Amino acid sequence: MILLSILAMTLVVFLSRYLFLAPTLPLKLGSEVKRFLKYSSPAILTVILAPIMFLEGESQQLMPLVNPYLIAAVIATLLAWKTANVLLTTGVSFVAFLLMNVFWG
Amino acid sequence: MSDIVEQRGNDNRSLMWQGTVAMMPLSIAVVPWGLLAGSYAVESGLLVIEAQALSAILFAGAAQLVAIGMFNTGASLVTMLITTFFITSRHLLYSVAMRETISPLPLRWRLTLGFLLTDELFALIGHRQTSFNRYYALGAGLSFYLIWNLASFVGIIGGSVIPNLDSLGLDFAIVATFIALVVPNVKTKPVLLTVLVALVSSVVLHRLQVNGALMIASLVAMIAGYAAERYGVGVSTESSQDIDKEKRG
Repeated sequence: MILLSILAMTLVVFLSRYLFLAPTLPLKLGSEVKRFLKYSSPAILTVILAPIMFLEGESQQLMPLVNPYLIAAVIATLLAWKTANVLLTTGVSFVAFLLMNVFWG
Repeated sequence: MSDIVEQRGNDNRSLMWQGTVAMMPLSIAVVPWGLLAGSYAVESGLLVIEAQALSAILFAGAAQLVAIGMFNTGASLVTMLITTFFITSRHLLYSVAMRETISPLPLRWRLTLGFLLTDELFALIGHRQTSFNRYYALGAGLSFYLIWNLASFVGIIGGSVIPNLDSLGLDFAIVATFIALVVPNVKTKPVLLTVLVALVSSVVLHRLQVNGALMIASLVAMIAGYAAERYGVGVSTESSQDIDKEKRG
């Protein structure tokens, strides 16, 4: 029964990932829709990362504004802006974050 | 001729490797989640094979955790499917956004990349549609899939002896990677507006624990960016108003 439920849920998840990739789906994306979809990537990525920076994981309460997440995120933003290098940005800001996380009050 | 084939094979392998490397920060960030998903499943009384099947075939972190919770409480199948749909609905947005690049590919590529189309894979390939490469995407998606399943397996086998990784804050790797992917693409005011609206609306909606916060905040931010581009009015004042809103909230 559990395996069957897992299969049924898999179908829902897979269909939501695959639906619009199917060329048989009679849908032509007009130029306005494409213009709109251009914003999906910055929108979704920011929406996913924002709560991690500002809210406590469990309670969803606002964290103090000065916290390791936010400071390291500012460092990452500056690095990404100046260098546009993904690995450098991720590496340096992550090390900065870990150091702050260890030594934070 | 055979040289050309071999050359191409090497190129594809090297592209898959590039995708794997580019995905690495996100793969590392997902390890604690995988451990958690695995150990939580077994603690909740699922069999090893059921627990691994969640990661191997459902392959959706948040939906897996919620599913386990519902197995625990004995929710009905319909409830589970509706809940799953709400959690997973954001993937519809990914598949629309990737339609131009992935739908012309052969069936096996569409099925494979569709199956692998997680938040993380979309993060990596969603903003570089023009330079899309299927092997790069496959390397990124497949390596992520393997690490997710390995982490789940370790969680299933040794969940009770693994120390609490939450306190390490590995989720910052997600923040860092996403920032590194988003910021260099903020080249116009409408994109900047999108990012600012996404930031504020996401924090507010998650703070209020609104169902479907992710989807709603994403759509609001996309509409803001699109409207700014389309009608080109008051971009800078709108964004400063949003920051004011956040301060008051």
